[in-house]
Amino acid sequence: MGSAHSVPAEMRELADRTGFTSEQIEHLHRRFKQLSQDQLTIRKENFDNIPDLEFNPIRGKIVHAFFDKRNLRQESDGLADEINFEDFLTIMSYFRPIEMNMDEEQLDRFRKEKLKFLFHMYDSDHDGKITLQEYRNVVEELLSGNPHLEKESARSIADGAMMEAASICVGQMGPDQVYEGITFDDFLKMWQGIDIETKMHVRFLNVDTIAHCY
Amino acid sequence: MGSRGGPPRPAAPRPPALALVPVLAVLAAGAAEAGATSESHLLGASTMGTSPPPSPSGTTFEETRLHVFTLDYPHVQIPFEITLWILLASLAKIGFHLYHKLPSIVPESCLLILVGLLLGGIIFGAEEKSPPVMNSDVFFLYLLPPIVLDAGYFMPTRLFFENFGTIFWYAVVGTLWNAIGIGISLYGICQISAFGLTDITLLQNLLFGSLISAVDPVAVLAVFENIHVNEQLYILVFGESLLNDAITVVLYNLFKSFCQMHTIKVIDIFAGIANFFVVGIGGVLIGILLGFVAAFTTRFTHKIRVIEPLFVFLYSYLSYITAEMFHLSGIMAITACAMTMNKYVEENVSQKSYTTIKYFMKMLSSVSETLIFIFMGVSTVGKNHEWNWAFVSFTLLFCLIWRALGVFVLTQIINVFRTIPLTFKDQFIIAYGGLRGAICFSLVFLLPSAVFPRKKLFITAVIVVIFFTVFIQGITIRPLVEFLDVKRSNKKQPAVSEEIYNRFFDHVKTGIEDVCGHWGHNFWRDKFKKFDNKYLRRLLIRENQPKSSIVSLYKKLEIKHAIEMAESGMISKVPSSVSLSEYHEGKIKPLSPTEMENMREILTKNLYQIRHRTMSYNRHSLAADANEKQAKEILIRRRHSLRESLRKTNSLQSCNTFTVNFRPYLSGAHRFSREAESASYLPIPKSSSHFRYQGN
Repeated sequence: MGSAHSVPAEMRELADRTGFTSEQIEHLHRRFKQLSQDQLTIRKENFDNIPDLEFNPIRGKIVHAFFDKRNLRQESDGLADEINFEDFLTIMSYFRPIEMNMDEEQLDRFRKEKLKFLFHMYDSDHDGKITLQEYRNVVEELLSGNPHLEKESARSIADGAMMEAASICVGQMGPDQVYEGITFDDFLKMWQGIDIETKMHVRFLNVDTIAHCY
Repeated sequence: MGSRGGPPRPAAPRPPALALVPVLAVLAAGAAEAGATSESHLLGASTMGTSPPPSPSGTTFEETRLHVFTLDYPHVQIPFEITLWILLASLAKIGFHLYHKLPSIVPESCLLILVGLLLGGIIFGAEEKSPPVMNSDVFFLYLLPPIVLDAGYFMPTRLFFENFGTIFWYAVVGTLWNAIGIGISLYGICQISAFGLTDITLLQNLLFGSLISAVDPVAVLAVFENIHVNEQLYILVFGESLLNDAITVVLYNLFKSFCQMHTIKVIDIFAGIANFFVVGIGGVLIGILLGFVAAFTTRFTHKIRVIEPLFVFLYSYLSYITAEMFHLSGIMAITACAMTMNKYVEENVSQKSYTTIKYFMKMLSSVSETLIFIFMGVSTVGKNHEWNWAFVSFTLLFCLIWRALGVFVLTQIINVFRTIPLTFKDQFIIAYGGLRGAICFSLVFLLPSAVFPRKKLFITAVIVVIFFTVFIQGITIRPLVEFLDVKRSNKKQPAVSEEIYNRFFDHVKTGIEDVCGHWGHNFWRDKFKKFDNKYLRRLLIRENQPKSSIVSLYKKLEIKHAIEMAESGMISKVPSSVSLSEYHEGKIKPLSPTEMENMREILTKNLYQIRHRTMSYNRHSLAADANEKQAKEILIRRRHSLRESLRKTNSLQSCNTFTVNFRPYLSGAHRFSREAESASYLPIPKSSSHFRYQGN
């Protein structure tokens, strides 16, 4: 943990907890040191130094996700101010690829964790539901790279998508029924057809620390 | 009408748009050789030529009376026969689909071969000689390109490039493995003098191995389209069948030249390796280049919409035959051309042209495929066979063994590099899906008989292998897929929310990759997209507006649903604006704001109903119930919107535009929460941006 080279015992402990191999941990540790500029923790400002992240439309949400306490598996709520290497690894562990030897139960748990991570990114006010406003927010951010689109289109798209969600989750709705928002179970239902466990992964072994930040 | 009698002769060169004309020339030669006159006799034409041949001027002086009715078959023989063949093929297809269950048990390709066999048998029986064999030139120049074009144009590019490494690995190394393995093992068998095959040399065996190891895209398409395995598996097998053309061409030509050369030097082997790179990369480059030219051409076709589809076909065919001219890989050229063209052409051409292109392409490829299989059946019957139990059975055996071994070994290696390793089930399907088809069939016919005295033996062996793969493997693959519980594809309607999720997801992944400094697939894809947006799109697309896949999908879906609703008679007074907007699209630069709003208004008003219908219910089932419910829903929504609009018009007199747009949000949005409703009221005073909409 931190700037000193990890002792093997600690490393093994980290490996067990997060599921990474020691090689991967070493790679990520190097990257962590780069990002934190040899400090023990990373703050939000450190993420500003990553050049390619600038162009990402949902940059804010990604950075936010790193500091979200729910993702860091801490009991409390809200945002952390800074994260250490272990927290960094915890966030990265959401993007581990599946392994051949996982059984059904493990796969299912894995999938749920990944989806929970995504859910937290949508649900910015931490109330456990994705409301229409939050959804609109997401779509607007996604389409923000496009200067020609009016806000109208983004909103109507968000509305349309929300209604799709409503119809999947609740089915036929009476005329005066109100759909509060997408809960995590509804979210799971919507992603049922899509193999998130095969798509949501990064090849950690090919981490190339040449792509540095300045 | 009898003035043009006499033997058919090759037609004079005509503009290349008439693709059938060269076919006439080729088929004329083939037909004449095979004694087509008697064949035409079989096809029902009565005795030819009731009119005597015209006397060459001056030599004899025979006076003929005026004929009331003449029959001149030779004049129209070639186009007549071609039309009859195609008609027969299409009628056979109709026949198969009349009985529901048949195409699901037996793939169409088998049935077509059977029909071909039947026909071949009839022709053979009637005239005691081999029926016209499918000319390899006809196959390679006319029948194969439409199928590959269709496949390349509608290829899911994203999935293809994500799996490109694996596909390339299977195609190149796998085919090499198969070719050399089969060749050497067959040579070993040939050495056993008991089988009477000792005169077949090693090189001949290697050549045979190379032509029989090619997985055939036509056969793969024909069989896989019915079994609906998941897209990843499909793209692996199909991609392999497309990309292995490069190596097949190289190996085939290499070994054929080696067979004809007396000494083989080391330099020749290196030349062979270099040739592979030239063939593969050259083909792709030609394809990409012509794809860009095609995209560029369509940039200027907005005045003559009618011939837009023609450019797509011409340029892709041009890429194919240019590659063939240089003995490069035509299949790779046409695939690359189609994939490149697709993105840009789609935006430049009108909606109608796009539909035309799509349907015409499908039609051409369907006809080609049918003809190929029928001809294969017809050509099987005949006298060009030589049966040798050992050779034929060992060929079949080795094909299966080497394919299975090859897939297994290669997968173990490539799994190290893949993030999602391929399971045994996947490997089995990949191995089992290595079907041989018309390409090996035609290649074997192209072998020069002088160099290959045992050519007939090869033909027989190839036919047996093809029949085995198409019939046995084709029929059993479906129950096997179900038995092994292979993941199937889920063909759902594309939904906007899914698109949103996918995009969101891509950005998250890219972000995480940036954070950990990883140059992954996403990184390259992003870089390409930036380059594309900056240079290519500006150059190749006429009205270049940065496009978002979410927005375009949304618009596409809404237009489609609006048309559906209009057709089903739900909307009473709308059709004019919907069709108007489509019609005007070509003439005005963007849709004019009033039209856009009208369209939007109509669409969003019926938004809830549209979504409901696509997601939960199939249009064909539950028809009665759905209609009633829908009518009720629409009524309720209209009442809501009417109520809201009354409320609004009292408060906002000035911005009419605004109310028009806002009504639907309210009637829908109120479902989500009170908060949303109040939120939607808020922006009214302060959004000057909406006035911009009006002033446009």
